[in-house]
Amino acid sequence: MAQEAHGAIYDLLAVRGVSRRDFLKYCSYVAAMLGLSEAAAPQIAAAVEKGAKLKPALWINGGSCTGCTESMAQVDSPDVATVVLEILSINAFETIMAAAGHDAEKNIADTVAAGGYLLIYEGSVMTGEDGNTLLVNGHKGTDILEEVAAGADAILAVGACAVDGGWVYAHPNPAKAIGVQSFLDTVNIKTPVVNLPCCPTSPEWIVAMVVQWLLVAEDDPATFLAKTKLRTRTYRDTVTGRDVTLNYPEYVIGSTIHDNCPRRGHFENGHFVTEFGSEEEAKGYCLYKVGCKGPQTFTQCPITRWNRSVSWCVQSGAPCIGCGGLNWVDNNTPFFKRLSSMQMGDTLGNVQPGSVAAVVGGVAAAALVAHGLGMKAAGRIGPDGPPVETAKAYDRKRMAKKGGDK
Amino acid sequence: MAGSAHYREAHPLVFVITHWINLICMIMLAFSGFYIHYPFFDGFMGVARGMHFVAMYVILINLTFRIIAAFFVKTAVDLGSREVDTDIKNWLPQEKNRHQFFETVKYYLFLRKEAVISAKYGSLQKIAYLATVPLTYLMAYTGFAIYGPTMNWGFFAGGVDMVGGPMNMRIIHYFMMWVFIVFTMIHAYLANVYNFSPSKIIFAWKETEH
Repeated sequence: MAQEAHGAIYDLLAVRGVSRRDFLKYCSYVAAMLGLSEAAAPQIAAAVEKGAKLKPALWINGGSCTGCTESMAQVDSPDVATVVLEILSINAFETIMAAAGHDAEKNIADTVAAGGYLLIYEGSVMTGEDGNTLLVNGHKGTDILEEVAAGADAILAVGACAVDGGWVYAHPNPAKAIGVQSFLDTVNIKTPVVNLPCCPTSPEWIVAMVVQWLLVAEDDPATFLAKTKLRTRTYRDTVTGRDVTLNYPEYVIGSTIHDNCPRRGHFENGHFVTEFGSEEEAKGYCLYKVGCKGPQTFTQCPITRWNRSVSWCVQSGAPCIGCGGLNWVDNNTPFFKRLSSMQMGDTLGNVQPGSVAAVVGGVAAAALVAHGLGMKAAGRIGPDGPPVETAKAYDRKRMAKKGGDK
Repeated sequence: MAGSAHYREAHPLVFVITHWINLICMIMLAFSGFYIHYPFFDGFMGVARGMHFVAMYVILINLTFRIIAAFFVKTAVDLGSREVDTDIKNWLPQEKNRHQFFETVKYYLFLRKEAVISAKYGSLQKIAYLATVPLTYLMAYTGFAIYGPTMNWGFFAGGVDMVGGPMNMRIIHYFMMWVFIVFTMIHAYLANVYNFSPSKIIFAWKETEH
């Protein structure tokens, strides 16, 4: 039913140098990510076409480095992903929109007033100093998020920062940065949030979720949630002190990087890179020993990859630093060590678990040797062993108390 | 303990075998675990992982069998005795262990001269032997929580969330191995501090009179 996809969108695409063939190819790619067969590509194309000018969206930046925007805009020429997102009718996108100042604010206010929009939120929610750690034109970032989140149909929290605060959340977190879901929990806003992890997030995951909305939601958040395969993870937010439950798309966090890694064969064979710049590295051996966190990181990076699926971190020779996890900086530093360091406060600094274990084992061994020498010195070790008491100390005391004989 | 005889009734053949299985599995698990933690030579990862998983299943089955057998097999009721009773009764605290915990601690800290009256095992010993059961199962839990085929099961994924992610779970699994290593060190030391008769009976099933 490829014929269903036609009309104005193809003119739009043609202007941007994207052929109809390219577009359908992309749609089948998105279909694969959503777990659909390639036959769903025409429906996706149709949904995208129908979505044109229908679904308003806001892209709001919180405490972010705009890295996710950069990830989204990484392409050197207008890309199908860009077009798909443009037909989403994004009414505000601070980093790339032409409007500025009053016009930009009006765009946001108008969209919120009209309602029925998707919110894409990038960056952490900075709650420190009563929200004054992030001010946009005199408005607190937290107030802006509250305003745009309450009226949204659904929220895509894009990037590790929007998920749980990301690296901004890492110790000592003076800005008291938290994730979108955590913040909405504290202000009691029930708008559904779908989290897309990683630093930055993958543009393809955003596109896949937007297409998912256009395909199944029928403009109803409840339907969207019911028909989208989600997986939840729970964590304790140390800033708010609450347990936060996050929704992720199943296709993003369903398996570990390790399980889909192109270097997995070298791992099983026991071929490892021990230092960078070595012969082993040139051979493309496994990066486990130089600190790869792939076995502990649940994302499908090896499948979608980055930069139009050209490559991704591990393929390009860098160990995974685990940016798809929760509290990922504290949990995964040092990046080039197998285990993360334990944070032991200001005096002891950060300590590797292996060092702690070696000290414990060493102390135990030394204590046993010392004890053995003590046993010898006390004369307890001999053919007959030490003298054994004839009655328990407890019984002797009790008897004495009762006035009986010892 | 020195002075007591070590008879086969203390450790019937079936428990000599389970003890051997435990020892071999523990060595395999610790060695392959260290290797998986940091591969200190090349070409062994697949084997190390296979070894780790096989030994893990064997030790769990062995432990479960050992617990069930404790309710059916009879063992000596006291040190140097041929009188037997159901093993679980001698494994759990006995009448002779009452009020002896602090006295035992004092004895080992050289705060008292005479050794304490104890049952088949002393108070500290029984606590240690009983603790290995939940510890082994807990160790298995932390292992399954970072084991590909089971890590996504809700029972394990919930635990991973609780401790703050799979990296923390790994570190707990790693430290727990050290708990077992330190246990084994203390266990081997205290068992053989007076003489090697305990080792002779548990490994070679060879009786001694002192």
